[in-house]
Amino acid sequence: MIKLENVTKVYKGDVVAVRDATVDIAKGEFVFLVGQSGSGKSTFIRLLNREESPERGTIFVAGKDISGLGSWKVPYLRRNIGYIFQDFKLLPKKTVAENVAFALEVIGKPRHVIKKQVPAILELVGLAPKIDNYPHELSGGEQQRVSIARAFVNRPLILLADEPTGNLDPQTSVGIMKLLDRINRTGTTVVMATHDRGIVDTMRRRVIELDRGVIVRDQARGVYE
Amino acid sequence: MAISPVYALRETGQNLARNFMLSFATIITIGVSLWLFGGFFLFNYAVDNATARWEGGIEFVVWMDPDASPEQDAAIASSLDQPAVSSWKYIDQAATYEEFKEVFSDTPEMLEVVTAEALPPSYRVVPTDPDADVVQEMVRQFEGRPGVRDVVSADKTIRQIQRTADDVSRVFLIGSIFLLVAATLLILTNVVSAIRSRGAEIEIMKVVGATNWFIRIPFMLEGLAQAMLGALGAWVGLYFLNTKVIEGLGDGDALELMRGFRVTDNEYLSTSFLVLGIAVAVSGIGSMVAVTRYLDA
Repeated sequence: MIKLENVTKVYKGDVVAVRDATVDIAKGEFVFLVGQSGSGKSTFIRLLNREESPERGTIFVAGKDISGLGSWKVPYLRRNIGYIFQDFKLLPKKTVAENVAFALEVIGKPRHVIKKQVPAILELVGLAPKIDNYPHELSGGEQQRVSIARAFVNRPLILLADEPTGNLDPQTSVGIMKLLDRINRTGTTVVMATHDRGIVDTMRRRVIELDRGVIVRDQARGVYE
Repeated sequence: MAISPVYALRETGQNLARNFMLSFATIITIGVSLWLFGGFFLFNYAVDNATARWEGGIEFVVWMDPDASPEQDAAIASSLDQPAVSSWKYIDQAATYEEFKEVFSDTPEMLEVVTAEALPPSYRVVPTDPDADVVQEMVRQFEGRPGVRDVVSADKTIRQIQRTADDVSRVFLIGSIFLLVAATLLILTNVVSAIRSRGAEIEIMKVVGATNWFIRIPFMLEGLAQAMLGALGAWVGLYFLNTKVIEGLGDGDALELMRGFRVTDNEYLSTSFLVLGIAVAVSGIGSMVAVTRYLDA
Protein backbone atom coordinates (compact mmCIF):
# COMPACT_ATOMS: atom_id res chain seq x y z
CA MET A 1 0.00 0.00 0.00
CA ILE A 2 2.86 2.38 0.89
CA LYS A 3 6.42 1.93 -0.29
CA LEU A 4 9.40 4.24 0.23
CA GLU A 5 12.64 3.54 -1.60
CA ASN A 6 15.73 5.41 -0.44
CA VAL A 7 13.74 8.55 0.30
CA THR A 8 15.58 11.64 1.50
CA LYS A 9 13.98 14.96 2.40
CA VAL A 10 16.17 17.98 3.06
CA TYR A 11 14.87 21.35 4.25
CA LYS A 12 16.54 24.71 3.77
CA GLY A 13 19.88 25.04 5.50
CA ASP A 14 20.75 21.41 4.76
CA VAL A 15 18.48 20.15 7.54
CA VAL A 16 17.92 16.48 6.75
CA ALA A 17 14.41 15.53 7.94
CA VAL A 18 14.33 12.04 6.42
CA ARG A 19 17.46 10.25 5.25
CA ASP A 20 17.56 7.31 2.84
CA ALA A 21 14.35 5.78 4.18
CA THR A 22 13.17 2.47 2.75
CA VAL A 23 9.90 1.06 4.08
CA ASP A 24 7.14 -1.19 2.80
CA ILE A 25 3.74 -0.99 4.49
CA ALA A 26 1.10 -3.53 3.45
CA LYS A 27 -2.60 -2.90 3.04
CA GLY A 28 -4.44 -3.02 6.34
CA GLU A 29 -1.33 -2.59 8.50
CA PHE A 30 -1.30 -0.40 11.62
CA VAL A 31 2.06 1.34 11.94
CA PHE A 32 3.35 3.55 14.72
CA LEU A 33 6.03 6.11 13.91
CA VAL A 34 8.02 6.89 17.04
CA GLY A 35 11.04 8.99 17.87
CA GLN A 36 12.00 12.17 19.61
CA SER A 37 10.74 15.58 18.56
CA GLY A 38 12.53 16.58 15.36
CA SER A 39 13.27 12.99 14.43
CA GLY A 40 11.32 13.30 11.16
CA LYS A 41 7.97 11.66 12.03
CA SER A 42 5.82 14.53 10.81
CA THR A 43 7.90 14.94 7.65
CA PHE A 44 7.48 11.21 7.01
CA ILE A 45 3.71 11.62 7.19
CA ARG A 46 3.73 14.80 5.11
CA LEU A 47 5.68 12.97 2.40
CA LEU A 48 2.94 10.35 2.17
CA ASN A 49 0.15 12.82 1.38
CA ARG A 50 2.44 14.89 -0.81
CA GLU A 51 2.53 17.97 1.40
CA GLU A 52 6.27 17.58 0.88
CA SER A 53 8.26 16.17 -2.01
CA PRO A 54 11.43 14.15 -1.53
CA GLU A 55 14.80 15.36 -2.80
CA ARG A 56 15.76 11.80 -3.60
CA GLY A 57 14.06 8.41 -3.73
CA THR A 58 10.64 7.15 -4.74
CA ILE A 59 7.36 6.96 -2.88
CA PHE A 60 4.57 4.63 -3.98
CA VAL A 61 1.08 4.98 -2.59
CA ALA A 62 -1.53 2.45 -3.69
CA GLY A 63 0.86 1.30 -6.41
CA LYS A 64 1.43 4.77 -7.86
CA ASP A 65 4.67 6.73 -7.77
CA ILE A 66 3.74 10.01 -6.12
CA SER A 67 7.27 11.47 -6.00
CA GLY A 68 6.88 13.31 -9.28
CA LEU A 69 3.10 13.63 -9.21
CA GLY A 70 1.82 16.74 -11.01
CA SER A 71 0.39 19.29 -8.59
CA TRP A 72 -3.04 19.06 -10.25
CA LYS A 73 -3.16 15.33 -9.45
CA VAL A 74 -2.32 15.76 -5.76
CA PRO A 75 -5.94 16.48 -4.68
CA TYR A 76 -7.03 13.17 -6.22
CA LEU A 77 -4.28 11.35 -4.29
CA ARG A 78 -5.45 12.98 -1.07
CA ARG A 79 -8.98 11.73 -1.55
CA ASN A 80 -7.58 8.29 -0.83
CA ILE A 81 -5.76 9.45 2.30
CA GLY A 82 -7.48 10.59 5.49
CA TYR A 83 -5.55 12.95 7.76
CA ILE A 84 -5.99 13.39 11.49
CA PHE A 85 -4.42 16.39 13.22
CA GLN A 86 -3.15 16.65 16.79
CA ASP A 87 -5.16 19.87 17.29
CA PHE A 88 -8.29 18.56 15.51
CA LYS A 89 -8.59 21.61 13.21
CA LEU A 90 -12.37 21.70 13.34
CA LEU A 91 -14.12 24.73 11.88
CA PRO A 92 -15.61 26.56 14.87
CA LYS A 93 -18.61 28.06 13.09
CA LYS A 94 -19.76 24.73 11.68
CA THR A 95 -21.63 22.05 13.57
CA VAL A 96 -20.31 18.52 13.97
CA ALA A 97 -22.32 17.39 10.95
CA GLU A 98 -21.24 20.40 8.89
CA ASN A 99 -17.58 19.83 9.72
CA VAL A 100 -17.79 16.27 8.45
CA ALA A 101 -19.98 17.19 5.48
CA PHE A 102 -17.46 19.89 4.50
CA ALA A 103 -14.90 17.22 3.61
CA LEU A 104 -17.34 15.67 1.13
CA GLU A 105 -18.78 18.93 -0.14
CA VAL A 106 -15.40 20.33 -1.23
CA ILE A 107 -14.59 17.25 -3.30
CA GLY A 108 -17.89 17.62 -5.12
CA LYS A 109 -19.93 14.80 -3.57
CA PRO A 110 -23.64 15.11 -4.32
CA ARG A 111 -25.93 16.32 -1.55
CA HIS A 112 -27.80 13.01 -1.27
CA VAL A 113 -24.52 11.15 -0.71
CA ILE A 114 -23.48 13.64 1.98
CA LYS A 115 -26.85 13.29 3.71
CA LYS A 116 -26.40 9.53 3.83
CA GLN A 117 -22.72 9.27 4.74
CA VAL A 118 -22.43 11.93 7.45
CA PRO A 119 -24.90 10.44 9.96
CA ALA A 120 -23.45 6.97 9.30
CA ILE A 121 -19.87 7.98 10.08
CA LEU A 122 -20.96 9.97 13.16
CA GLU A 123 -22.77 6.85 14.34
CA LEU A 124 -19.53 4.89 13.84
CA VAL A 125 -17.48 7.32 15.96
CA GLY A 126 -20.20 7.50 18.62
CA LEU A 127 -21.23 11.10 18.09
CA ALA A 128 -24.71 10.69 16.60
CA PRO A 129 -26.35 12.46 19.57
CA LYS A 130 -24.09 15.49 19.09
CA ILE A 131 -24.60 15.93 15.37
CA ASP A 132 -25.84 19.54 15.74
CA ASN A 133 -23.38 20.66 18.41
CA TYR A 134 -20.58 23.12 17.72
CA PRO A 135 -16.94 22.18 18.42
CA HIS A 136 -16.72 24.40 21.51
CA GLU A 137 -19.58 22.39 23.02
CA LEU A 138 -17.54 19.16 22.80
CA SER A 139 -14.77 17.66 24.93
CA GLY A 140 -11.28 17.19 23.48
CA GLY A 141 -11.93 13.50 22.88
CA GLU A 142 -15.19 14.24 21.14
CA GLN A 143 -13.52 16.85 18.97
CA GLN A 144 -10.90 14.32 17.94
CA ARG A 145 -13.68 11.87 17.08
CA VAL A 146 -15.18 14.48 14.78
CA SER A 147 -11.75 14.95 13.22
CA ILE A 148 -11.51 11.17 12.68
CA ALA A 149 -15.02 11.11 11.22
CA ARG A 150 -14.04 13.87 8.80
CA ALA A 151 -10.88 11.99 7.80
CA PHE A 152 -12.70 8.69 7.33
CA VAL A 153 -16.04 9.78 5.85
CA ASN A 154 -14.74 9.36 2.30
CA ARG A 155 -13.58 5.84 3.18
CA PRO A 156 -9.90 6.42 2.30
CA LEU A 157 -7.45 3.57 1.78
CA ILE A 158 -4.96 5.12 4.17
CA LEU A 159 -5.37 7.06 7.39
CA LEU A 160 -2.48 9.27 8.51
CA ALA A 161 -2.53 10.53 12.08
CA ASP A 162 -0.01 13.03 13.40
CA GLU A 163 -0.01 12.65 17.19
CA PRO A 164 -3.81 12.30 17.41
CA THR A 165 -3.71 11.75 21.17
CA GLY A 166 -1.15 14.47 21.87
CA ASN A 167 -3.75 16.87 23.27
CA LEU A 168 -5.78 14.26 25.15
CA ASP A 169 -5.66 12.68 28.59
CA PRO A 170 -4.70 8.96 28.79
CA GLN A 171 -8.24 7.70 29.32
CA THR A 172 -9.61 9.64 26.36
CA SER A 173 -6.62 8.53 24.30
CA VAL A 174 -7.57 4.90 24.85
CA GLY A 175 -11.01 5.61 23.40
CA ILE A 176 -9.49 7.27 20.36
CA MET A 177 -7.10 4.35 19.82
CA LYS A 178 -9.98 1.89 20.03
CA LEU A 179 -11.72 3.86 17.34
CA LEU A 180 -8.61 3.89 15.12
CA ASP A 181 -8.20 0.16 15.73
CA ARG A 182 -11.78 -0.40 14.66
CA ILE A 183 -11.21 1.60 11.50
CA ASN A 184 -8.02 -0.36 10.83
CA ARG A 185 -10.00 -3.61 11.06
CA THR A 186 -12.10 -2.47 8.10
CA GLY A 187 -8.94 -2.84 5.97
CA THR A 188 -7.76 0.76 6.17
CA THR A 189 -4.01 1.19 6.52
CA VAL A 190 -3.20 3.42 9.51
CA VAL A 191 0.10 5.27 9.96
CA MET A 192 0.30 7.15 13.24
CA ALA A 193 3.06 9.34 14.60
CA THR A 194 3.06 9.34 18.39
CA HIS A 195 4.98 10.06 21.56
CA ASP A 196 2.56 8.01 23.64
CA ARG A 197 4.55 5.14 25.06
CA GLY A 198 1.54 3.57 26.79
CA ILE A 199 -0.49 3.30 23.62
CA VAL A 200 2.36 1.79 21.59
CA ASP A 201 3.23 -0.71 24.28
CA THR A 202 -0.40 -1.71 24.78
CA MET A 203 -1.37 -2.15 21.15
CA ARG A 204 1.77 -4.03 20.07
CA ARG A 205 1.63 -3.17 16.37
CA ARG A 206 4.40 -2.52 13.90
CA VAL A 207 6.76 0.22 15.14
CA ILE A 208 9.08 2.30 12.95
CA GLU A 209 11.52 4.39 14.96
CA LEU A 210 13.18 7.45 13.49
CA ASP A 211 16.28 9.17 14.84
CA ARG A 212 17.43 12.39 13.15
CA GLY A 213 15.68 11.33 9.98
CA VAL A 214 17.08 7.81 9.86
CA ILE A 215 14.98 4.68 10.36
CA VAL A 216 16.79 2.99 13.22
CA ARG A 217 14.19 0.34 13.98
CA ASP A 218 11.36 -1.36 12.10
CA GLN A 219 9.75 -3.94 14.35
CA ALA A 220 6.58 -6.00 13.93
CA ARG A 221 4.46 -6.06 17.12
CA GLY A 222 6.95 -3.68 18.69
CA VAL A 223 7.10 -1.48 21.75
CA TYR A 224 8.00 2.18 22.16
CA GLU A 225 11.70 1.48 22.75
CA MET B 1 -15.14 17.91 -10.75
CA ALA B 2 -17.70 20.64 -11.21
CA ILE B 3 -18.16 23.17 -8.45
CA SER B 4 -21.75 23.40 -7.23
CA PRO B 5 -23.25 26.80 -8.08
CA VAL B 6 -24.96 26.89 -4.69
CA TYR B 7 -21.63 26.31 -2.94
CA ALA B 8 -19.81 28.89 -5.09
CA LEU B 9 -22.46 31.57 -4.54
CA ARG B 10 -22.72 30.87 -0.80
CA GLU B 11 -18.96 31.05 -0.29
CA THR B 12 -18.66 34.17 -2.48
CA GLY B 13 -21.45 35.85 -0.51
CA GLN B 14 -19.78 34.96 2.76
CA ASN B 15 -16.47 36.36 1.54
CA LEU B 16 -18.12 39.64 0.52
CA ALA B 17 -20.07 39.94 3.77
CA ARG B 18 -17.08 39.01 5.94
CA ASN B 19 -15.31 42.24 5.10
CA PHE B 20 -18.22 44.40 4.07
CA MET B 21 -16.55 47.81 4.56
CA LEU B 22 -13.52 46.93 2.45
CA SER B 23 -15.76 45.34 -0.19
CA PHE B 24 -17.91 48.47 -0.29
CA ALA B 25 -14.85 50.73 -0.63
CA THR B 26 -13.59 48.53 -3.45
CA ILE B 27 -16.90 48.65 -5.30
CA ILE B 28 -17.04 52.46 -5.03
CA THR B 29 -13.44 52.82 -6.24
CA ILE B 30 -14.08 50.51 -9.19
CA GLY B 31 -17.31 52.34 -10.00
CA VAL B 32 -15.69 55.79 -9.97
CA SER B 33 -12.63 54.65 -11.93
CA LEU B 34 -14.73 52.92 -14.58
CA TRP B 35 -17.03 55.95 -14.78
CA LEU B 36 -14.03 58.22 -15.37
CA PHE B 37 -12.62 55.78 -17.89
CA GLY B 38 -15.94 55.53 -19.76
CA GLY B 39 -16.41 59.29 -19.41
CA PHE B 40 -13.07 59.84 -21.14
CA PHE B 41 -14.30 57.88 -24.15
CA LEU B 42 -17.78 59.45 -24.25
CA PHE B 43 -16.31 62.95 -23.97
CA ASN B 44 -13.83 62.25 -26.74
CA TYR B 45 -16.53 60.84 -28.98
CA ALA B 46 -18.69 63.90 -28.36
CA VAL B 47 -15.84 66.32 -29.09
CA ASP B 48 -14.90 64.39 -32.22
CA ASN B 49 -18.50 64.50 -33.41
CA ALA B 50 -18.81 68.22 -32.63
CA THR B 51 -15.61 69.16 -34.39
CA ALA B 52 -15.80 66.68 -37.26
CA ARG B 53 -16.95 69.37 -39.68
CA TRP B 54 -13.92 71.52 -38.82
CA GLU B 55 -11.47 68.78 -39.65
CA GLY B 56 -9.43 68.65 -42.86
CA GLY B 57 -8.06 72.16 -42.56
CA ILE B 58 -11.39 73.96 -42.93
CA GLU B 59 -11.31 77.17 -40.96
CA PHE B 60 -14.70 78.68 -41.80
CA VAL B 61 -17.93 77.79 -43.54
CA VAL B 62 -20.10 80.13 -45.60
CA TRP B 63 -23.64 78.81 -45.37
CA MET B 64 -25.80 79.93 -48.31
CA ASP B 65 -29.55 80.32 -48.34
CA PRO B 66 -31.11 77.26 -49.98
CA ASP B 67 -32.90 79.59 -52.39
CA ALA B 68 -29.89 81.78 -53.18
CA SER B 69 -29.68 82.69 -56.87
CA PRO B 70 -26.93 81.34 -59.17
CA GLU B 71 -25.59 84.91 -59.45
CA GLN B 72 -25.28 85.22 -55.68
CA ASP B 73 -23.51 81.84 -55.57
CA ALA B 74 -21.18 82.89 -58.35
CA ALA B 75 -20.38 86.15 -56.55
CA ILE B 76 -19.32 84.31 -53.42
CA ALA B 77 -17.28 81.78 -55.41
CA SER B 78 -15.56 84.62 -57.22
CA SER B 79 -14.73 86.34 -53.91
CA LEU B 80 -13.06 83.16 -52.73
CA ASP B 81 -10.60 83.19 -55.59
CA GLN B 82 -8.11 85.39 -53.79
CA PRO B 83 -4.56 84.89 -52.41
CA ALA B 84 -5.84 84.90 -48.81
CA VAL B 85 -7.74 81.66 -49.52
CA SER B 86 -5.64 78.55 -49.73
CA SER B 87 -8.51 76.37 -50.98
CA TRP B 88 -12.27 76.09 -50.91
CA LYS B 89 -14.89 73.52 -51.67
CA TYR B 90 -18.55 73.86 -52.54
CA ILE B 91 -20.87 71.42 -50.76
CA ASP B 92 -24.23 71.31 -52.52
CA GLN B 93 -27.54 70.39 -50.90
CA ALA B 94 -27.28 66.72 -51.82
CA ALA B 95 -23.82 66.44 -50.24
CA THR B 96 -25.01 68.36 -47.18
CA TYR B 97 -27.90 65.94 -46.85
CA GLU B 98 -25.48 63.00 -46.99
CA GLU B 99 -23.49 64.58 -44.12
CA PHE B 100 -26.72 65.18 -42.22
CA LYS B 101 -27.75 61.53 -42.64
CA GLU B 102 -24.39 60.42 -41.30
CA VAL B 103 -24.53 62.66 -38.22
CA PHE B 104 -28.14 61.76 -37.41
CA SER B 105 -27.94 58.12 -38.49
CA ASP B 106 -29.44 56.89 -35.20
CA THR B 107 -32.23 59.51 -35.12
CA PRO B 108 -34.65 58.30 -37.82
CA GLU B 109 -37.32 60.83 -36.84
CA MET B 110 -34.92 63.65 -37.83
CA LEU B 111 -34.22 62.00 -41.16
CA GLU B 112 -37.95 61.69 -41.82
CA VAL B 113 -38.75 65.38 -41.47
CA VAL B 114 -35.66 66.87 -43.10
CA THR B 115 -35.17 66.81 -46.87
CA ALA B 116 -32.19 67.81 -48.99
CA GLU B 117 -34.07 70.90 -50.21
CA ALA B 118 -34.34 72.25 -46.67
CA LEU B 119 -30.59 72.12 -46.10
CA PRO B 120 -28.30 74.98 -47.08
CA PRO B 121 -25.37 74.49 -49.43
CA SER B 122 -22.04 75.81 -48.19
CA TYR B 123 -18.50 76.81 -49.03
CA ARG B 124 -15.82 75.19 -46.85
CA VAL B 125 -12.90 77.57 -46.86
CA VAL B 126 -9.26 77.09 -45.83
CA PRO B 127 -7.51 80.46 -45.45
CA THR B 128 -3.84 80.81 -46.37
CA ASP B 129 -3.09 82.26 -42.96
CA PRO B 130 -4.81 80.26 -40.20
CA ASP B 131 -4.34 83.06 -37.64
CA ALA B 132 -7.61 83.58 -35.75
CA ASP B 133 -7.68 87.35 -36.35
CA VAL B 134 -7.11 86.91 -40.10
CA VAL B 135 -9.86 84.29 -40.21
CA GLN B 136 -12.24 86.62 -38.36
CA GLU B 137 -11.51 89.42 -40.81
CA MET B 138 -12.34 87.09 -43.71
CA VAL B 139 -15.54 85.96 -42.00
CA ARG B 140 -16.63 89.58 -41.78
CA GLN B 141 -16.10 89.92 -45.55
CA PHE B 142 -18.78 87.33 -46.22
CA GLU B 143 -21.25 88.02 -43.45
CA GLY B 144 -24.43 89.78 -44.61
CA ARG B 145 -23.74 89.42 -48.31
CA PRO B 146 -26.70 88.59 -50.57
CA GLY B 147 -27.55 84.88 -50.51
CA VAL B 148 -25.42 84.22 -47.42
CA ARG B 149 -27.35 82.80 -44.47
CA ASP B 150 -24.51 82.57 -41.96
CA VAL B 151 -20.74 82.35 -41.68
CA VAL B 152 -19.33 80.08 -38.99
CA SER B 153 -15.64 79.98 -38.22
CA ALA B 154 -13.33 77.64 -36.36
CA ASP B 155 -11.94 80.59 -34.49
CA LYS B 156 -10.24 80.84 -31.13
CA THR B 157 -13.30 79.52 -29.33
CA ILE B 158 -13.25 76.25 -31.24
CA ARG B 159 -9.58 75.80 -30.62
CA GLN B 160 -10.08 76.69 -26.99
CA ILE B 161 -12.88 74.14 -26.73
CA GLN B 162 -10.68 71.50 -28.30
CA ARG B 163 -7.83 72.35 -25.94
CA THR B 164 -10.14 72.33 -22.94
CA ALA B 165 -11.70 69.08 -24.10
CA ASP B 166 -8.24 67.59 -24.47
CA ASP B 167 -7.28 68.74 -20.97
CA VAL B 168 -10.50 67.46 -19.42
CA SER B 169 -10.30 64.09 -21.14
CA ARG B 170 -6.64 63.79 -20.16
CA VAL B 171 -7.61 64.35 -16.52
CA PHE B 172 -10.38 61.74 -16.92
CA LEU B 173 -7.93 59.24 -18.40
CA ILE B 174 -5.08 59.77 -15.92
CA GLY B 175 -7.47 59.83 -12.95
CA SER B 176 -9.20 56.68 -14.13
CA ILE B 177 -5.92 54.83 -14.69
CA PHE B 178 -4.72 55.66 -11.16
CA LEU B 179 -8.07 54.63 -9.73
CA LEU B 180 -8.11 51.41 -11.77
CA VAL B 181 -4.70 50.53 -10.35
CA ALA B 182 -6.05 51.33 -6.87
CA ALA B 183 -9.14 49.23 -7.57
CA THR B 184 -6.99 46.29 -8.70
CA LEU B 185 -4.94 46.54 -5.50
CA LEU B 186 -8.12 46.80 -3.42
CA ILE B 187 -9.51 43.64 -5.03
CA LEU B 188 -6.18 41.93 -4.36
CA THR B 189 -6.25 43.11 -0.73
CA ASN B 190 -9.84 41.97 -0.35
CA VAL B 191 -9.15 38.51 -1.72
CA VAL B 192 -5.99 38.16 0.37
CA SER B 193 -7.95 39.22 3.44
CA ALA B 194 -10.63 36.61 2.66
CA ILE B 195 -7.96 33.95 2.08
CA ARG B 196 -6.31 34.73 5.43
CA SER B 197 -9.56 34.77 7.35
CA ARG B 198 -10.41 31.36 5.88
CA GLY B 199 -6.98 29.84 6.39
CA ALA B 200 -8.28 26.97 8.52
CA GLU B 201 -10.95 26.04 5.97
CA ILE B 202 -8.45 26.19 3.12
CA GLU B 203 -6.05 23.92 4.99
CA ILE B 204 -8.81 21.36 5.49
CA MET B 205 -9.92 21.66 1.87
CA LYS B 206 -6.40 20.93 0.66
CA VAL B 207 -5.95 17.99 3.03
CA VAL B 208 -9.20 16.30 2.03
CA GLY B 209 -8.48 16.68 -1.68
CA ALA B 210 -10.30 19.76 -2.96
CA THR B 211 -8.81 20.85 -6.28
CA ASN B 212 -7.02 24.16 -6.62
CA TRP B 213 -9.79 25.53 -8.83
CA PHE B 214 -12.46 24.47 -6.38
CA ILE B 215 -10.66 26.46 -3.69
CA ARG B 216 -9.90 29.40 -5.96
CA ILE B 217 -13.26 29.95 -7.61
CA PRO B 218 -15.16 31.55 -4.68
CA PHE B 219 -12.28 34.01 -4.17
CA MET B 220 -12.16 34.87 -7.85
CA LEU B 221 -15.93 35.25 -7.93
CA GLU B 222 -15.62 37.64 -5.01
CA GLY B 223 -13.34 39.88 -7.07
CA LEU B 224 -15.60 39.54 -10.09
CA ALA B 225 -18.71 40.41 -8.06
CA GLN B 226 -17.04 43.56 -6.75
CA ALA B 227 -15.97 44.56 -10.26
CA MET B 228 -19.45 43.88 -11.70
CA LEU B 229 -21.14 45.93 -8.99
CA GLY B 230 -18.63 48.71 -9.67
CA ALA B 231 -19.34 48.45 -13.41
CA LEU B 232 -23.07 48.68 -12.69
CA GLY B 233 -22.48 51.91 -10.78
CA ALA B 234 -20.30 53.20 -13.62
CA TRP B 235 -23.04 52.39 -16.16
CA VAL B 236 -25.56 54.42 -14.17
CA GLY B 237 -23.06 57.29 -13.98
CA LEU B 238 -22.32 57.10 -17.73
CA TYR B 239 -26.03 57.07 -18.54
CA PHE B 240 -26.48 60.34 -16.65
CA LEU B 241 -23.29 61.78 -18.14
CA ASN B 242 -24.61 61.04 -21.61
CA THR B 243 -28.26 62.01 -21.19
CA LYS B 244 -27.91 64.98 -18.85
CA VAL B 245 -24.52 66.49 -19.61
CA ILE B 246 -23.40 65.59 -23.13
CA GLU B 247 -26.84 65.69 -24.76
CA GLY B 248 -27.60 68.87 -22.80
CA LEU B 249 -24.51 70.57 -24.18
CA GLY B 250 -25.29 69.56 -27.74
CA ASP B 251 -29.07 70.04 -27.88
CA GLY B 252 -30.98 72.50 -30.10
CA ASP B 253 -30.51 75.46 -27.77
CA ALA B 254 -26.77 75.02 -27.56
CA LEU B 255 -24.22 77.38 -29.05
CA GLU B 256 -23.55 76.84 -32.73
CA LEU B 257 -20.07 75.68 -31.85
CA MET B 258 -21.45 72.95 -29.60
CA ARG B 259 -23.94 71.60 -32.12
CA GLY B 260 -23.16 67.97 -32.81
CA PHE B 261 -21.65 67.53 -29.34
CA ARG B 262 -23.25 64.14 -28.90
CA VAL B 263 -22.52 60.44 -28.67
CA THR B 264 -24.09 57.96 -31.07
CA ASP B 265 -25.82 54.84 -29.77
CA ASN B 266 -23.04 52.67 -31.13
CA GLU B 267 -20.40 54.76 -29.38
CA TYR B 268 -22.35 54.62 -26.11
CA LEU B 269 -22.81 50.85 -26.41
CA SER B 270 -19.17 50.19 -27.27
CA THR B 271 -18.08 52.35 -24.29
CA SER B 272 -20.40 50.38 -21.99
CA PHE B 273 -18.94 47.07 -23.20
CA LEU B 274 -15.43 48.47 -22.84
CA VAL B 275 -16.21 49.40 -19.22
CA LEU B 276 -17.48 45.87 -18.62
CA GLY B 277 -14.35 44.40 -20.19
CA ILE B 278 -12.10 46.59 -18.04
CA ALA B 279 -14.06 45.50 -14.95
CA VAL B 280 -13.50 41.84 -15.81
CA ALA B 281 -9.80 42.51 -16.48
CA VAL B 282 -9.34 44.41 -13.20
CA SER B 283 -11.04 41.67 -11.18
CA GLY B 284 -9.16 38.97 -13.08
CA ILE B 285 -5.75 40.54 -12.47
CA GLY B 286 -6.44 41.38 -8.80
CA SER B 287 -7.89 38.03 -7.84
CA MET B 288 -5.52 35.89 -9.92
CA VAL B 289 -2.47 37.55 -8.37
CA ALA B 290 -4.02 37.06 -4.93
CA VAL B 291 -4.87 33.38 -5.36
CA THR B 292 -1.63 32.43 -7.08
CA ARG B 293 0.56 34.28 -4.58
CA TYR B 294 -1.34 33.65 -1.36
CA LEU B 295 -3.54 30.61 -1.93
CA ASP B 296 -1.38 28.21 -3.89
CA ALA B 297 1.72 29.01 -1.83
